[in-house]
Amino acid sequence: MYAPQSQPFLPDEDLAHTVLSDLKRVTREYATAATESVCPTVRQQFTQLLNTTLAMQGELYNAMSQQKMYNAASPALKQEIDKQLKSYQSTQQKTNQFVQQRKSAAPGQSPQAFGDWAYQPAPQWQPPNNYM
Amino acid sequence: MNLQPLTAKELEYIADSMSNEDLLIKQCTSAGLTCTNPQIRQVLQHQSQVHMQHYQALLNCLQQHQPLAPTQPQA
Repeated sequence: MYAPQSQPFLPDEDLAHTVLSDLKRVTREYATAATESVCPTVRQQFTQLLNTTLAMQGELYNAMSQQKMYNAASPALKQEIDKQLKSYQSTQQKTNQFVQQRKSAAPGQSPQAFGDWAYQPAPQWQPPNNYM
Repeated sequence: MNLQPLTAKELEYIADSMSNEDLLIKQCTSAGLTCTNPQIRQVLQHQSQVHMQHYQALLNCLQQHQPLAPTQPQA
């Protein structure tokens, strides 16, 4: 018995979910490909495909969410956030101490500012004069 | 432009990516036709075009690197 012609192969929701999960997988694959590329042109191409695919995944997710096809995950509890916040603030403090201790052995470095989220590239590497 | 010969890994990733994009072109095209929800249908139909552009970009990348590839295994 064949389904009547008007019956879709899969419900709308399943179709959209199938494409969405493939977009998620392909996003990860482009990220891996970009990090493992040697040729700068190839890396740039994969980076561009990564950005576009990520935008497409977001676009489809937003459409599905607007059409109530996606059950938003329930929000995390405040006490759970408090717990993680406390724990990782303490980790940060200990790590800062570690960094300061190691750096005090090699002075002359200015402390890093953390306010700016744009990535600042490392300074240009200057080999020492007796490098060769 | 800074072109270097493709590594075996890069070639694998480009080929796998073309398979992925090919599948997405077909998925978005058929889902874009059968989908009854107009908003989802519009997104899928638009995205099938973008996946075709991705496929072409990967194909171009491969063609661009073809002349640089050695014909003998390199030491």
